[in-house]
Amino acid sequence: MTTQGNIEKRSPADFLKQVVGKPVVVKLNSGVEYKGVLACLDGYMNIAMEQTEEHVGTQLKNKYGDTFIRGNNGK
Amino acid sequence: MSETIPPVLPLELVDKCIGSQIWVLMKTDKEFTGILRGFDQFVNMVLEDVSEYEWTSEGLIRTHLDQILLNGNNICVLIPGGAGPNETL
Repeated sequence: MTTQGNIEKRSPADFLKQVVGKPVVVKLNSGVEYKGVLACLDGYMNIAMEQTEEHVGTQLKNKYGDTFIRGNNGK
Repeated sequence: MSETIPPVLPLELVDKCIGSQIWVLMKTDKEFTGILRGFDQFVNMVLEDVSEYEWTSEGLIRTHLDQILLNGNNICVLIPGGAGPNETL
């Protein structure tokens, strides 16, 4: 999965700490993208987000509240 | 003629690359080039100023991304200082 942020940091653990609370884009192996605010994540890259929108080329579904993405889907 | 070359560990090689350009090939038809900011034991990678390349039937698609965490699960090859793919391939 790829997430976009704006500040410099170093290793993945630092990067993730710094990105929590920010708007991110999570891209899965399948090519589906999820844009939302990163609520939290764990060492397996499982992700919890709020106010998520699902994009496959064009916008398909809207989700508000919480979404959970399992870490093994990332790319 | 009896010189031995010191072994280079893979993670050492990646570590030397921090701060400079790297080209990453995935197991799928995707590639990334960017500046390596850091990585971990699973070779998840933090890249900056990234170009994402996707090989499709229509040709090569390129996207720019500011900073990404690239999941190491699908990474296949790392090329230090690599310039990335070009259209003619």
